[in-house]
Amino acid sequence: MKKTIQITVNGKSYSRDADTRQVLADFLRDELRLTGTHIGCGTGSCGACTVVLDGRTVKSCCILAADVDGQEITTIEGISTGAQQLHPIQEAFVEFQGLQCGYCTPGMVLSAMQLLKENPNPSEDEIRHGISGNLCRCTGYHFIVKSIQEAAKRLQASK
Amino acid sequence: MSPPALRIRCARQAMAARSLPFSPLIAARPQKEFEMPTAGPFGAAVKRVEDPRFLVGQTSFVEGMVLPNMLSVAFLRSPYAHAKIRSIDVSKALALPGVVRVLTGEEAIKRCKPIRVEWKESKFEVDFKPCDYPAIAVERTRHVGEIVAAVVAENRYLAEDGVELIEVEWEPLPAVVDPEKALEKGGTLVHEEWGDNVMLHSHIRGGDVEGAFRQADVVVKGRFAMNRHCAAPMEGRAVVANYDAAQNGMTVWTSTQMPHMVRTKIAEALDYPEHRIRVIGPDVGGGFGLKCHIFPEELALSLLTLDVKRPLKWVEDRRENLYGSYHAKDDICYAELAVKNDGTILGLKTKFIGDVGAYTSYPWTPSFEPLQAAMAVPGPYKIHHVHCEALAVATNKTTSSVYRGVGLPAAQYTMEHILDLAAAKIGMDPAEIRRKNIMKSSDFPVTSVTGLYYDSATPLESLDMALEMIKYPEFRKEQEAARKQGKYLGIGISAMIEMTTFGFEYWRAAGLKSVTGYDSAHLRVDPNGGVTLTVGTFNHGQGHPTAYAQLVADGIGCKIEDVTFIQGDTQMTPYGWGTWGSRSAVAGGGAVIKASEKIREKMFRVAANLMEVSAQDLELKDGKVQVKGVPGKSMTIREVAQATVYTADVPDDDEPGLEASYYYKAPTPYANSTHIAVVEVDPETGYTKILRYVVTEDCGRMINPMIVDGQIAGGVAQGIGQAMFEHHQFDESGQILTTSLMDYLIPSCADVPPMQFGHLETPCPISVGGIKGMGEGGAVAPPPAIANAIADALAPLAGWKPIGRLPMSPEVVRRQIA
Repeated sequence: MKKTIQITVNGKSYSRDADTRQVLADFLRDELRLTGTHIGCGTGSCGACTVVLDGRTVKSCCILAADVDGQEITTIEGISTGAQQLHPIQEAFVEFQGLQCGYCTPGMVLSAMQLLKENPNPSEDEIRHGISGNLCRCTGYHFIVKSIQEAAKRLQASK
Repeated sequence: MSPPALRIRCARQAMAARSLPFSPLIAARPQKEFEMPTAGPFGAAVKRVEDPRFLVGQTSFVEGMVLPNMLSVAFLRSPYAHAKIRSIDVSKALALPGVVRVLTGEEAIKRCKPIRVEWKESKFEVDFKPCDYPAIAVERTRHVGEIVAAVVAENRYLAEDGVELIEVEWEPLPAVVDPEKALEKGGTLVHEEWGDNVMLHSHIRGGDVEGAFRQADVVVKGRFAMNRHCAAPMEGRAVVANYDAAQNGMTVWTSTQMPHMVRTKIAEALDYPEHRIRVIGPDVGGGFGLKCHIFPEELALSLLTLDVKRPLKWVEDRRENLYGSYHAKDDICYAELAVKNDGTILGLKTKFIGDVGAYTSYPWTPSFEPLQAAMAVPGPYKIHHVHCEALAVATNKTTSSVYRGVGLPAAQYTMEHILDLAAAKIGMDPAEIRRKNIMKSSDFPVTSVTGLYYDSATPLESLDMALEMIKYPEFRKEQEAARKQGKYLGIGISAMIEMTTFGFEYWRAAGLKSVTGYDSAHLRVDPNGGVTLTVGTFNHGQGHPTAYAQLVADGIGCKIEDVTFIQGDTQMTPYGWGTWGSRSAVAGGGAVIKASEKIREKMFRVAANLMEVSAQDLELKDGKVQVKGVPGKSMTIREVAQATVYTADVPDDDEPGLEASYYYKAPTPYANSTHIAVVEVDPETGYTKILRYVVTEDCGRMINPMIVDGQIAGGVAQGIGQAMFEHHQFDESGQILTTSLMDYLIPSCADVPPMQFGHLETPCPISVGGIKGMGEGGAVAPPPAIANAIADALAPLAGWKPIGRLPMSPEVVRRQIA
């Protein structure tokens, strides 16, 4: 069964027929070809599919595309204009090796961005808990935490 | 780098001939001495060039691939641990609109040979039994999750609908689940033709262990049950296979660590010309050893694309990954340690029983887990008398194979935990008993009692550095004060020597012909001075595009950004063995260095000819080939490249073009490290918090210290997973209970402590460039560091008690004092 949905993704409006059992992550990836949103578990446990939905981070593998009709979404493709013009959080991830294989990275960056929006000057403990919904198997989080600390500094300084 | 990185450059080891007490099983080929580096790209913490595109989601993971007319594949998997397939009816599935093809085992086995490893000759004392492992089960399934049928449909949703419509008449059989029960006579057999359930049996003996035990003041014994792990990379496995009529061949994109091996095995299994198969490893989202196998799914999709003549895609979901890929590290370890009252270790007896699941993985066989444990268990200590036994036991569980560390975690836990038990028994401090028995840099090279040739290492120096970083004496005071306030702090040490690279001689000695320890690099310089580097290793997060470019820049004087890095495409890269076993920096890096040397030599010949000087008078400086001491007389790299490749101004007896290959028969160097954990245990709840964590590491010359630290940190988190969280549970019927990340817990950021790293740099005397591997040690050492810390913390409550079971969940910790 299909349902027509209208959504705004990264500032662009789309009208599409979505299969009623298609999850949002698949819709973004397969219909809109925004493949930066990854699926790591399909059960909302790992956070690789994190996107920002109407100002909150959500796990897009556990939401049906048909349920987000009329809403606004930001994916990793929407937070900078590309690899040459990174967001300060992405820059800090490069500088402090906040990634290794890069698979969890888009979700991690979006969660970090949301964390710093809500708490611009987090303690290390707040960072560790703030991104604990996003699993990373490569980095041991050590340099992700350093990256976010650095990003917080840079974002504060640029205000 | 943010944590205070202590870096002590050790003087190069004296390589004086020393009488070796044991003859090495694995010969070492001394390489020519390397030259100490000049300040340059080799050794610098260069930011990773490959990172920006991952941060914006511009990636090539298999799951994102779309080809015209592509179909999806889903697999029906066995719901029983052990069962006969009486019949399969696929008619309803085939009748579903959108389903294109269904493949069962009966049909697949006629056209696809089963996976099988033969292992007949070895310098190790091994007795190994092979078995057939079909891509799709035939008549019988041997573990929950084994593939029973493949459904091809217009999309994954429909393929899964088709899977649900397949009707199988099952005859469940008794399953063997407990590896020790599996060893009893008369029980269920996983492979009837074996006559028992023993896949591998091996003994490693050194010295006179019974004599040593007779002289002991104290003998301590333990049984340590490791947990059943899996690698659980964030990206599961994924395959796209496409028969291309125009090429009369097929291309297989797969999330692998070993593309060339995958191509060779697809060709063999399907009896298809290897040169008409192209295997491409695109971006791979973590592997940790899981993805260095040929998998049934790769064979099934290759077979199916030849049938349906359309591209096919399968992306593993997490449930499949947790029960249908491979598990690892499930060993039961029995150990006895003989010591004198002054702490001197006299002898060690161990027996490792590896629960290796249902089948033999290719190319390793699962038996390397207990075998490696038996070889590695004496660790960095001066132990001269051992008997180490290894058993790989088949059960009706998911096949177990290699995952970061392979056998070393069981060895490490056994040695380090029983050493603390011995220390507690004789009333000695854990740091002191280690300092008494551990080897120091001047003890190397040495052949271990189990026959391993340790080229060089700094165990004592690394231990002392870690003790200093954690402020050991101060901690003991802090601990005492905390105890008075009812707080239970503990400290645990884990010192290790890490076998890395598993080089050419290692596999020659092992006699396992399915794998070889060389690797390759090819360099081609274009007329503008740009360099294309193709390699046989396979980066999936370890930073090779950056680290190798550093080596090329060091070797031929170009800039790091001038190097284009290509890997993983069997049509474009030299044959190589991919990335596993902490091998790439040594095997791949060594090949890159040697290929760069060839390029440099030719650049010198060409430049010498054009500048009318002798090549011996030239040097590489500031990106130029210049006459030594005459900065004005030089040619840029670009000028030399132009002259060699474009205008062909080469000496008469030389050929135009500037490219070079090197296939490096890599050695097996040993890195070493010390991990120290400080924990606080809540005796009420059993909750353990890791307060501080220190790692000192010596991995020879570091190509990029930032990447080294990243590898350690990532490893430590996986080690913490083993220590405290991860375990695949099975019920008595062999049903797996942990099939989502809500049941199989991998550590989150909040579970991992801040870490501190220290480095020693003892150049490896047997590898090109003085490099050692280091990718796995981080994951190996944490469990005993944490166990020792917990036991130390709880000692005032119940005496020092060993912890016999991992993971150390709150329940297990509570039982220590119950």
